[in-house]
Amino acid sequence: MVTREDIENIALLSKLFVDEKDLDKLTEEMQKIVEFADTINKVEVKTGEFDNINNLSNVFRKDEVRESLPVEEILKNAPEQAEDHFLVRKRA
Amino acid sequence: MKYELVAGFETHVELQTKTKIFCSCTTAFGGDPNTHCCPVCIGLPGTLPKLNEKVVEYAIMAGLATDCEIAGIAKMDRKNYCYPDLPKAYQISQYDKPLCEHGHITLSNGRQIRILRIHIEEDAGKLIHNHGDTFVDYNRGGVPLIEIVTEPDFRSVDEAKEYVERLQQIMRYIGVSDCRMQEGSMRCDVNISVRPEGSEKLGTRTEIKNMNSITNIAKAMEYEYERQVDLIESGGAVVQETLRYDDATNTTSSMRSKEDAHDYRYFREPDLVTIAVPRERVEEIRQSLPELPAQKFKRYTEEFEIPEKDAEKLTKYRAIAEYFDEAAKDLKAPKTAANFILGQIFRRLETEADKEAFLVKTSAAQLNEMCKMLESGKLKNNLAKTALEKMLDSGDPVTKFVSESDMAGLDDNTLTEYCQNAINAMPNAVADYKGGKEKALMALLGNVMKQSRGRADAGAVKEKLKELIG
Repeated sequence: MVTREDIENIALLSKLFVDEKDLDKLTEEMQKIVEFADTINKVEVKTGEFDNINNLSNVFRKDEVRESLPVEEILKNAPEQAEDHFLVRKRA
Repeated sequence: MKYELVAGFETHVELQTKTKIFCSCTTAFGGDPNTHCCPVCIGLPGTLPKLNEKVVEYAIMAGLATDCEIAGIAKMDRKNYCYPDLPKAYQISQYDKPLCEHGHITLSNGRQIRILRIHIEEDAGKLIHNHGDTFVDYNRGGVPLIEIVTEPDFRSVDEAKEYVERLQQIMRYIGVSDCRMQEGSMRCDVNISVRPEGSEKLGTRTEIKNMNSITNIAKAMEYEYERQVDLIESGGAVVQETLRYDDATNTTSSMRSKEDAHDYRYFREPDLVTIAVPRERVEEIRQSLPELPAQKFKRYTEEFEIPEKDAEKLTKYRAIAEYFDEAAKDLKAPKTAANFILGQIFRRLETEADKEAFLVKTSAAQLNEMCKMLESGKLKNNLAKTALEKMLDSGDPVTKFVSESDMAGLDDNTLTEYCQNAINAMPNAVADYKGGKEKALMALLGNVMKQSRGRADAGAVKEKLKELIG
């Protein structure tokens, strides 16, 4: 059962501000999401040796350097930037 | 009341792979901000991580070198927390199925520090705080780390210091990390508590972070031990919290209250598949490991009969030990080579970095050649030091500095002549010797040595002197 306290706690951990009046609605929605996930859990699946659906293991990459992106590309979606850094402003 | 210190370590070690753990960006230290980044390591939606095979190999090497059991099956998990150093708002780490478990490192006092686990994870980005604003550089984000967690087995600051040194030594020997604390490629967090001596129950612990040298670790632990004891003695109680060490003031201060483990809401990383480690692969990696410092130490002290203090110096860095091994090859007394290394060669290596790199003009093979000549009597003991100095200056072999006549020593006529000269020049010494003062012979010996410019063999000179004095 998802409780209001759960929502408050998740919001706190996620550094989200949730309005008091939205709490009940969010609790209800979160409950539905969890129930949906439970439905998936009910499906009987035969897994192999490894706990993923394709029964895969050891998908590795060689330790070979490839070029990184230019800093302009990296910072393209940054809400704010300064001196080639992502900038996180002090919260008011 | 007396209080016992109880401490455990969590050590992050940056692995020396070429690329990051989940993408092909370089792990090179430094670089302009945000130039070692790609969509994977800045956590853009729709990207998928792919595990670097070298990270798994290095972690297994670290596990084997610390006597861990290597898991047959391991997996990655998400550790969730919101902070700007982590662009995805989660760190990919290992929770309940780490690669290595149940190892140990043995200290020189014989105590074993148990290693609970070694797991792999990604490093976070670097934050620069400026007047409340935060500048973020993700070059370090995604650099592979191993986290080595010990049991709370430390009972003194000295044990803690030795552990960190041993860990550095082992990781450098096997070549998985340079373990430079100043550059942050090795970072220690210490969990520390105190309890009345004799008590079995653990006290409430605090965790100290932000120490960038072994000296600081020791100072922080000493400070925190005193602080906790004072707190308890004055009727207070230790609060479980994370502390930051400030080396300018040598104090600890609260960083944030300790988050409970479940606050991280660990869950299976769905973007990465299981890691399966076949036993044959573990054996293959075990075979590839170099001889470890503890094994070398044992061999040097037991087989070579080298004093423990000297063996410690010889094994401190791999380059020294390997140089010694080659220089001591097939010698009747490997100690001879050890003494030259720890004496004349060490004198030329001023800093720790010099010793670690061990760049010496004389090759180990050349030192070996010289030691063999000493053992066969071709080179006289008293010439060896001078010869080695010249070898170390020039990089030339011993044969360049020791002439045929030097090697042959003095012929009997010359020896007799020099001895007679000495007897004539030092009648008092002769009288003293005749009067029973054995030591007086040394003065005469010195005189002969001077005449022969060190080429004479001390044993032969003494015999000859005794014969002549009668």
